[in-house]
Amino acid sequence: MVEAFAVASGKGGTGKTTSTLALGMALAEDYDVTVIDADTGMANLLFHAGLDDADVTLHDLLVDERDAAVSDAVYERFGMSVVPCGTSLAAFEAADPGRLRDVVAELAADADVLLLDSPAALGSKSAVLPVVLADRIVVVLQPTVPSLSDGLKVQEYAHSYGTDTAGVVFNRVRPDENVDKIAEQAGRYFGGQTLASVPESDAVRAARREGKPLLAHAPEDPAADAFREAAARLDVRDGDGRDVAERFKSAVVPERI
Amino acid sequence: MRIPRGELRRSRVVDDAAAVLRAVLDEELTGYVVFEPQDALLLGETTSGVVTFEDGIPVLAYDTEREVGGRDGLEGFAVTGPTRAAVHAVDTAALADAHEVEAFRIPPGDPARVLAGDERLAEQTVDAAPAARRDEGRDQSAVEAFLADADAIEEIRSEAREEARARASEWGLDDVLADDARDSAAIEPGTDSR
Repeated sequence: MVEAFAVASGKGGTGKTTSTLALGMALAEDYDVTVIDADTGMANLLFHAGLDDADVTLHDLLVDERDAAVSDAVYERFGMSVVPCGTSLAAFEAADPGRLRDVVAELAADADVLLLDSPAALGSKSAVLPVVLADRIVVVLQPTVPSLSDGLKVQEYAHSYGTDTAGVVFNRVRPDENVDKIAEQAGRYFGGQTLASVPESDAVRAARREGKPLLAHAPEDPAADAFREAAARLDVRDGDGRDVAERFKSAVVPERI
Repeated sequence: MRIPRGELRRSRVVDDAAAVLRAVLDEELTGYVVFEPQDALLLGETTSGVVTFEDGIPVLAYDTEREVGGRDGLEGFAVTGPTRAAVHAVDTAALADAHEVEAFRIPPGDPARVLAGDERLAEQTVDAAPAARRDEGRDQSAVEAFLADADAIEEIRSEAREEARARASEWGLDDVLADDARDSAAIEPGTDSR
């Protein structure tokens, strides 16, 4: 049983990595969760998960001549399996994004839920690949015009590849913003459901500084509560892990970035 | 779009736009930076754009190839990877006219966010901006008006669909397009980019 979600926003700044790890930790209460930093060009999940000094990362699995096993890049942290990506520009340039499908297919075999932290861009093959490979996307939005516009774009890209929308998380919502009306309006255009409205919180920045996911750093914070609510609303579907692995393998993916 | 010619301070290729935006914020530049993403050049495309600054804070953005301003303009030259950045200084008074073009103005944090994906720098930039500019891009009534305009939303969606299909062809991802996306790609002319 496995379902792969790409956590996506189209552009940066919505708190995608924070959301990915928060949803991952909340889902890990009930499922075997693997979180993958699929933002190979601008990795930062490792900083959020205290893995700055990880020896082996996704980059090592994507470079031909490196002889690393997939399991070498998997770190058990905070109740989840975490696959960080490195930050070296040279490694990014040497990485073959086409290998991502094999890595993801192997990881899919052992997980109930895969969460792919997706690049904040749509301008390259490697950036859209997580959205292509996932079963469904979770769109992370801020209640602003640019963020909603970007979210609509990433959703259309996903739908073009047959990837549906599981739901929308409104993140970094300020106290004076009434998201209910915006969510109701946005619901006409976004698939799935509104999973949660997560308040802007100082605890998010503090968690990042400490190298811990929000739910580990400040489990009682209202933002953490909201992410748990989002995870509870996410209807993880039963799937056959082998089917997913097969689909990943058969996906025609580019040889180079 | 007319920006008065400034005094060239430096021009160099940097790994990403964040380094330049950070330097400009630190030195409180009033002027403009011309960005030329290098990867676009490798693909045989010319892409360039300008961001103007007042005391280090971004004011407006303009895609000089597509001749589009504002947030849309900014996205036109948001290409990941190395970029040539030419930093120019201009007198505040000389930029005043250009800065009155509302349609080209952008929220202060947008260049860091869109060009560099650097949320921390975006936040620092917003923190350093004058109080009157800090809430730009967070106007709830504007969001509600945006979402109420179903035609405009449909336009964004259909443009994105077209773009997704065209790029799938470019990237050799045609085979993994959903059937309905592929069918409409076959019917509609002009989506096959190469």
